[in-house]
Amino acid sequence: MENILEVKQLSKQYAKTLAVDRISFEIQKGEIFALIGPNGAGKTTTIRMISTLLTPTDGDATVNGFSILRDPEKVRQNITYLPDEAGAYKNMTGKKYLRFMAGLFSTDIDEINSYVERAEKMSNLGDRLNNKIGTYSRGMIRRLLLSRAVMTRPSLAILDEPTSGLDVLNALEIRSMIKNLAKDEGMSFLLSSHNMLEIEFVSDRVGIIAKGHLLVTGRTDELKQRYNAQNLEEVFERVVNNNEIL
Amino acid sequence: MKFFNLLKKELAEIINVQTVISFVIYFVLLSVMGNVMNTTIEDVSNDEYTINISDRDNTDLTAELMKLLEKSDAKINKFDTSGDDYSAILNETGQKNLIIIPEGFSEQVKNGETADIIDVSALTSSTVSAVADSGNSSAINLINACVADMISAQAGLDTEQIIRINSPLEIKSHTVVKGKSAETSVFSVMGKISMQNIILPVIVFLVIIMASQTIISAIANEKIDKTLETLLSAPVSRTAVIGAKVLSAGIVAILNAVVFMAGFSSLMSGATSANINMTSEITSTVAEQLSDNEAMKQLGLTLNAGDYILIGIQLFLSIMICLSISIILGALVTDTKQSQTIVMPIMIAAVIPYLISMFTDINTLPVWAKIFVYAIPFTHTFSSIPNIMFGHMGVFWGGLAYQAVFFAICLFLALKLFKSDKILTMSLNFGQKSKMKKAVNSSEE
Repeated sequence: MENILEVKQLSKQYAKTLAVDRISFEIQKGEIFALIGPNGAGKTTTIRMISTLLTPTDGDATVNGFSILRDPEKVRQNITYLPDEAGAYKNMTGKKYLRFMAGLFSTDIDEINSYVERAEKMSNLGDRLNNKIGTYSRGMIRRLLLSRAVMTRPSLAILDEPTSGLDVLNALEIRSMIKNLAKDEGMSFLLSSHNMLEIEFVSDRVGIIAKGHLLVTGRTDELKQRYNAQNLEEVFERVVNNNEIL
Repeated sequence: MKFFNLLKKELAEIINVQTVISFVIYFVLLSVMGNVMNTTIEDVSNDEYTINISDRDNTDLTAELMKLLEKSDAKINKFDTSGDDYSAILNETGQKNLIIIPEGFSEQVKNGETADIIDVSALTSSTVSAVADSGNSSAINLINACVADMISAQAGLDTEQIIRINSPLEIKSHTVVKGKSAETSVFSVMGKISMQNIILPVIVFLVIIMASQTIISAIANEKIDKTLETLLSAPVSRTAVIGAKVLSAGIVAILNAVVFMAGFSSLMSGATSANINMTSEITSTVAEQLSDNEAMKQLGLTLNAGDYILIGIQLFLSIMICLSISIILGALVTDTKQSQTIVMPIMIAAVIPYLISMFTDINTLPVWAKIFVYAIPFTHTFSSIPNIMFGHMGVFWGGLAYQAVFFAICLFLALKLFKSDKILTMSLNFGQKSKMKKAVNSSEE
């Protein structure tokens, strides 16, 4: 299977803190990979490096073969990034926001129109797309942003805490949207979350990260079997406890 | 294409209905204020010149004085009054001012003593028009002249001799600027220049503060809402993102400058009219010589299109410096409260040359103070009009070059910051270690 993302020995050193320490993993086409770990584990720093927002202090990563160090603009053509608790421009209508974002990915008007049309359908916001984003609920904003993130059919969609702060129904809707896009369109996803039950439901493979170290990666079932655990939370607990580095 | 998409979005964010309404309100408000000032002063000056007088002496001499006053252009209102409760007297007569000729006035004149006159004026406010409305000074001057004429006539002087005594000097004022001379009073020239010099510093100050707040809010809001992360992870260069922000804020700042320029010109034309009317006694001498505009032209103190372009370039550079510094300040902001207070350094840097240029000529300051004030890049725009007007072109060009270099450095630093990780990780903590640690941890997560 073709690898969409390859992370090789990626590190990030802040002034006095090593936030991410030589982590490596890969994501295949159509795969949903989740980085799980507690707050401060290094999930967001890893995601920001892959999204070309932060420069690694060591190592590299490639998206569709393009290096985040040497070809950051080409990497950005192949990814979309949805930050944790991201907002949108409150004075824009939903439609104008989608059109603005589509205009950053393409200069072809037909392509822009097709992106916007796709996002309008996926967001399921109907006429509310004509209203200003400032009037939207949190769930509506998240649906709009997720539609924006996938409207360009990126090779890799990077979603940081995709369902944080959402009610059960909105969270379920977004999880099923992610699963369908991976299954039907072959889109790859890199998710980050500290909600391990959600990740167990939605992801194909997980990577457990703590204090900047990627401790283990594997399919959820394999990990549960390997660590003799009932669920991913127990896997996480045992991995962290067993690991000598921490 | 992508840049224009970004620029369109930035302009739409800044120029919303509230901005347009504020543009219109500023313009209308300043124009209306100018018109009101002009109309008020015109009303006062167009009113028939009235002398309210109460003759308590009632002698042949005061009757003759009344006849002389009636021969003048003034309208004479006579009132019978008594007592020294002047507030009550003004209330009874319904006037704002009154001149009382007290008993014994004629006796004093006849005995060659200095005669007493009682001048009563009600002050109802501190405005220019209130002073113009309530003053008795012109009426007293007229009475003074009439009494002087009467005394001179009693002494046997003829009319020509009396005129010569009243006006023994004919003042021919000449003002010299940059080696050019014009037959006009220095007060008249200064009046004209000071009006021009008030407008530019006010505009520069307001535009700098507004431009700074605009770009700081734009960057701070994007950081707080995390839309900046979304934007920077899209396939557009960071230079395009920051370029669109700076250009849109620059366009809005220039629009602000135009609106303020038009509004303040209208306001100041009203104020100038007030000034001219209030100093009618001084300007009457000038009127016999040269008109203000002719004198300014003759002295080389008028600004041509080229001069305005040079002033415009300095204003533009000040705006761009302010925007570049504001990008750096905006990057430090982590919450909305900080975005309101972080404009303080720009405000201090603008208010120092603003106040100094309002009250004194910067070139007359001690050397150390001059260096300090000129080190602030905005100073050169505040002093651009006097520098060009009085031919201090060395100071002007030096200032322009300094501003250009300062702008290049600020822009370089702003771009460097925006292209680095710091745009997402930097925050303002004023050395509070615990908070700093927290911020680093959150950015590391």
